Amino acid sequence: MNPEPFLQLDRTIHEKGRLAIMSLLAASPSLLYTELRDTLRMTDGNATAHLRTLHEAGYVAVTKSLEGGRSATTYSLTETGRTAFAGYVSLLEQIVAQTRRSDA
Amino acid sequence: MDDALAAENLRVIRTLMERSAVYRRALAPVSLATGGLGLASGAVGWFLGLDTVAGFVGFWMAAAVIASGMSLAIVRRQALGDREAFWSPPTRRVAEALLPPLLVGLVCGSAVLLGGGATQGLVWWLPAVWMVLYGCAIHAAGFFVPRGMRRLGWIFVGTGCALPLLVDLGPFTGKIPPLSEAHLIMAAAFGGLHMAYGIYLSITEQRKSAA
Repeated sequence: MNPEPFLQLDRTIHEKGRLAIMSLLAASPSLLYTELRDTLRMTDGNATAHLRTLHEAGYVAVTKSLEGGRSATTYSLTETGRTAFAGYVSLLEQIVAQTRRSDA
Repeated sequence: MDDALAAENLRVIRTLMERSAVYRRALAPVSLATGGLGLASGAVGWFLGLDTVAGFVGFWMAAAVIASGMSLAIVRRQALGDREAFWSPPTRRVAEALLPPLLVGLVCGSAVLLGGGATQGLVWWLPAVWMVLYGCAIHAAGFFVPRGMRRLGWIFVGTGCALPLLVDLGPFTGKIPPLSEAHLIMAAAFGGLHMAYGIYLSITEQRKSAA
């Protein structure tokens, strides 16, 4: 089996929590911090840490605004993040396809 | 990382993307309840002979408010049952898609109801306008719902467009049908079509569960 795809997997996305955040954001124009945290049933500390890592990698953009007198933090995927996520999914598909071929 | 883990990761990604983008509440109970209310309202309106302008418009606007409240209550109960947020991102998107045409329908009804002086001939156009607007609303919401809702939207739009052609509103005979008959048309559209869609969803959902 060719180990190449395994080695190319993006370690920033590959972590379970960050992969979940990227998946939600990939299917939505933007999501509130609370929506991300509640949908994934993460703690504040966990969600904040993962989002900070993704932000520092340039994968998510953060927008802070005031909604009804309360501050709201919204996250969305950047173009870099979208490309990285598409690449990650493509590599996973390659891994699965490669195994199917070798089984056949 | 082995291939099983890769496949599992892909499955998780798909599930999470669907959770973020696709409205997943069961629509069969909502559609059946709305259809039942539509049929019952049509029967009551016709039986009571509500054929004044205020009677007809007020009665159906009240029915629409009750149907909306009932639908929200069913959706909320489902969300609580699934231990998920009621006002989730997909729910918010569906509501945003529904709102503009429904608001226009409310404004049209309110204008006729509160403006006064509307003739029965003018009021006869309201069911057609409401059907077209409702069809536009659920067609827009259908982009976030996977179960044939956009097709139902088109059926409402088509029925609404055909209605003025099917019902002679006076140009040929000079005689406008009584408004009590419009109750039956409202029942057939908003009751019958929802009921048929609800039955379709129930049957296909059962088949899917059995498979």
